[in-house]
Amino acid sequence: MAEDLVLDTAIRDWVLIPLSIVMVLIGVLRYFVSKLMRSTQVPDGKIVKEGQVIVRARNLRAAANFIPPKSFRARRAYFSNEENGLLHVPKGQAQNPQAQMFSDPNMAMDMMKKNLSMIIPQTLTFAWVNFFFSGFVAAKIPFPLTQRFRSMLQNGIDLSTVDVSYVSSRSWYFLNLFGLRGLFSLILGEDNATDDAQRMMQMSGFGFDPTKNLGAEKDGLDIVQHEWALPKFEQRAEAVLRKLVS
Amino acid sequence: MAVGHGDSSSSDKKSTDALNDLQTFNAENLQSNMKVIYYSRTFLSIIGGVIAGILGFKGLIGFVFYFLVMAITSAALTAKAKFSIHSYFDTWNRVLLDGFFGGLMSFVLFWTFAYDIVHIF
Repeated sequence: MAEDLVLDTAIRDWVLIPLSIVMVLIGVLRYFVSKLMRSTQVPDGKIVKEGQVIVRARNLRAAANFIPPKSFRARRAYFSNEENGLLHVPKGQAQNPQAQMFSDPNMAMDMMKKNLSMIIPQTLTFAWVNFFFSGFVAAKIPFPLTQRFRSMLQNGIDLSTVDVSYVSSRSWYFLNLFGLRGLFSLILGEDNATDDAQRMMQMSGFGFDPTKNLGAEKDGLDIVQHEWALPKFEQRAEAVLRKLVS
Repeated sequence: MAVGHGDSSSSDKKSTDALNDLQTFNAENLQSNMKVIYYSRTFLSIIGGVIAGILGFKGLIGFVFYFLVMAITSAALTAKAKFSIHSYFDTWNRVLLDGFFGGLMSFVLFWTFAYDIVHIF
């Protein structure tokens, strides 16, 4: 670091600090705006019921080994017998998923709103940063990097002689964009952090078919090999009780 | 540390002898424990970044400091779990590694921020 640049303190006061604060505030604002715009869907009773049945069946499958074989068989019959089992779907009653998707325009609307609330503030902030703060050397990372990072960290400065560890204001914006995620998850709670994952889930669940889920769960339940995990628990209980009595 | 284990976050591990190889974890509680780990790691990486920046660490020393902070976090979490990791988490990796690289980005950002404000201008 022989040729240290001397940076004006005004850059710190009027570029670095305001930029970082604005990034944080915009993140908070985005969170609340997307919270306000989220429409509350009235869930369909039938779908909720089917979902609950699936959850119960899944619980049974997960905890199958903790109940005696007889109890397990009885429960399985309750869920999946061919006449009136809860998971049994009569033929022809299956709803066309496509039709269901079109009957609920709210779903597509909701997704679009969410996407917009991500994209619009980002574009606006980027334009704002470009307009006001282009061309400043705003920061310096405290560790050396190779030349390869020059295009990443000195976006907007066309000088090849400046040390790579100096960061231009536009690149500081990008660093903030990625690095502040942790801070947001602390100050806004977890919904913000899991936002992306949730959106992915919604994408894949778009136009999903509950009856198909019922069928899949039924198949899963049918092939469970029951193996009781607690064959000796009666003896153990007896031993414990005897110890208590004596 | 800003967060701790609530009473509800203790995982169910009912069975003792002869059943130790069985999976008897409550998935929700495990999830909540992992969330606690994630929060404490993020929190400490931000605080650690600010400290490293103010102290003016440069280059490798800063990263060593990050490893140190994370090691201390792991030790503290272990102590918080009363040294019986397996009654709260399924593997050691949860305590030692989870959220390690997620915190690095926050650490670098706040390290740079504090370092710049204090030292280079």
